[in-house]
Amino acid sequence: MKKSRNNGFGISRRTLLAGAAFGVTQLSAPFVITARAAEAIKIGLLLPKSGPYATQGETGHNGAQIAVDDFGGHVLDRPIEIVWLDEANPQTSQQNMRKLLEEEKVVAVQGGVSSGDVLAIMPVAEQAKTLLMATGPNATEITGKNCNKYTFRVDLPNKVTVQSVYPILKERGKKWYFVVASYAWGIDAYAQMKDVLVKDGGTVVGYDQAPLGTTDYSSYLLKVRQAKPDVVFVGLGGTDLTNFLKQMHEIGLTRQMGLSGPIVNDTDLWAAGPDVAFGIFPKLWNYTGPHITKRSADFAAAYQKKNGAPPEVEGWQDWFGATAILTAIKETKSTDSTKLVAFLEQHKFDGYKDTPIGFRNFDHQLIQPLLVTRVKEKITDKYDYFDILSEYPKDPSQLEAAYGTQAEIGCTFKS
Amino acid sequence: MTELIISQVVNGLVLGFLYVLIAIGLSIIFGMLGIVNFAHGVYFALGAYFALTLRDSLGPWAIVLAPLCVGIVGMIIEMTLMRPLYGKEPLLGLFMTFGIALFIEELIRTIWGATGHPFNPPAFLSGFVIWGPVLVTKYRLFVLVVTVSILLALWLFLRGTRYGRIIRAGSRDPEMVSMLGINLKRVFTAVFGLGTAVAGIAGVLAAPLWSVVPSMSEAAIMPAFVVVTIGGLGSFAGAVISGLLVGVSVALSIQFWPAASTAVMYALMIVVLLIRPRGLLGESWERFE
Repeated sequence: MKKSRNNGFGISRRTLLAGAAFGVTQLSAPFVITARAAEAIKIGLLLPKSGPYATQGETGHNGAQIAVDDFGGHVLDRPIEIVWLDEANPQTSQQNMRKLLEEEKVVAVQGGVSSGDVLAIMPVAEQAKTLLMATGPNATEITGKNCNKYTFRVDLPNKVTVQSVYPILKERGKKWYFVVASYAWGIDAYAQMKDVLVKDGGTVVGYDQAPLGTTDYSSYLLKVRQAKPDVVFVGLGGTDLTNFLKQMHEIGLTRQMGLSGPIVNDTDLWAAGPDVAFGIFPKLWNYTGPHITKRSADFAAAYQKKNGAPPEVEGWQDWFGATAILTAIKETKSTDSTKLVAFLEQHKFDGYKDTPIGFRNFDHQLIQPLLVTRVKEKITDKYDYFDILSEYPKDPSQLEAAYGTQAEIGCTFKS
Repeated sequence: MTELIISQVVNGLVLGFLYVLIAIGLSIIFGMLGIVNFAHGVYFALGAYFALTLRDSLGPWAIVLAPLCVGIVGMIIEMTLMRPLYGKEPLLGLFMTFGIALFIEELIRTIWGATGHPFNPPAFLSGFVIWGPVLVTKYRLFVLVVTVSILLALWLFLRGTRYGRIIRAGSRDPEMVSMLGINLKRVFTAVFGLGTAVAGIAGVLAAPLWSVVPSMSEAAIMPAFVVVTIGGLGSFAGAVISGLLVGVSVALSIQFWPAASTAVMYALMIVVLLIRPRGLLGESWERFE
């Protein structure tokens, strides 16, 4: 039992203070009312603040802020506010998604680096009939068999990315070793890549699932070394990929075999360093290269000015995601998700990539060209790590087809 | 197959020594001061970050200086934030160290940025040695040698010197030791500094192997707690045995069932706690009974 000090009237000092403070707010009420008229439009952001993907969380948040700046901080004459909660794991993400919807009353939610987390929050978005802009997950099923009416995806599905790099990787040979993170994204990446490889007569000489957040891969690398594969395909991201590359270097395997993955983030390689990073990767966007448009170059410049480093790919993804949401709000003059969804299903965003891009109305996947990249032989800049080998698909008329037909995708919305 | 198993066991033992090094500072601070130091991981991270900053100007001296700086930070924190909590509810110490952990991690993020930093081992330690089926990288051998030397030095210090005897006596019966005219406050500060400096050494040595990012403390704190819990809180030999046990279990699970390789150390901890709640070599302490 704690004793509480009081002043003989049964009112503690703290209550008195609180009362006084309340009085002051009432006096200033007229100002509060004007502020209320322009109540902020809140966009929820679910990105990691901790764990293996924390860096992507930070760059994603920075990117979304640039989008807000682009709109002058206002849409429909109301200030835009970004509310960022942690995407730590599927359970926390679900709780934070509910918090964003119920307590923060956000009009839409964007983010999601881990496919596992996104698959967990998608049903919540659907139930609440609120727009979810998934900016960073790659598991194919998100805009495939698990798709829903309220979820849109900016990032690329594994099924598409693995096909973009395969032709160049198979030149190294067809004996492949797979090390992937043991959750939705990694497991799907293995399934998709293996499919392509085996159909082409290749063999899987090893397949390991590593828990997300593994720090030491030395035991995996002993197995890889023993198996002598032509290509190692790593479904690892964040610090997992950095650790894997550092330890590959330690054991002398750097550039000794082909290396690739279903996607790559610049920051994971920046953290590994120029002697350590190598490989051929599909990439959604790169801050340098011939593909860059005026609008994207302006974004990169604004990002660099504000944050002191060029934007890595997650920054672009969340910048684009937030831009898409804000554009939809502005054009429909509404924050109603039904209207936003209808707008996004038909709108073409021009100037972001070298061809107009848009979300497909039957699966809500952003249909966009991607880059096939190779880590430079000699890295001289702290941030400029990639050579762009080609765009995928090479023939722009094949863009829609590269993402699969409605029948192949297997997505049907519950109406 | 046998060859691969032998090579995995050896790799696990070497990894185990790294776990021991991370855990030993935690064990010292608990054993001597009775503080469960949730902030242990951030002293580990600070070690790596100090080395990162110092290496450009000081070269190899950074490896020595960075842990010293961590120890000084540790001592300042002990004097200002930990000391008022001695003898109070143990839960307060938990909250305090947890708060320190969150604060320092954010501080690291603010000063050095969220993006990781490259950190290569020195050139003369690159490459590996092969004996039959066994492959060990030179850098890991170096880590092993450093860890064993530190363990020996600590053991000799605590068992063989006057200061060691004061520390050990003070940990069991602080009142009695104070009555003998010894300034225990200063002893406690020194022990805290020692424990955090060892965490700093572990951080410096792990930097070329693992990602140097603000959240790197997470990679250290969980194995450290598991190792200390299995070995018995405060037991030196226990931490060594359990660190090696965890290393080998992880390596073997990666050979046969990699998806379970993180779970295996927790499973090991559960089994040990069920059979021997005090940990393998944990002793009973009047202060905590």
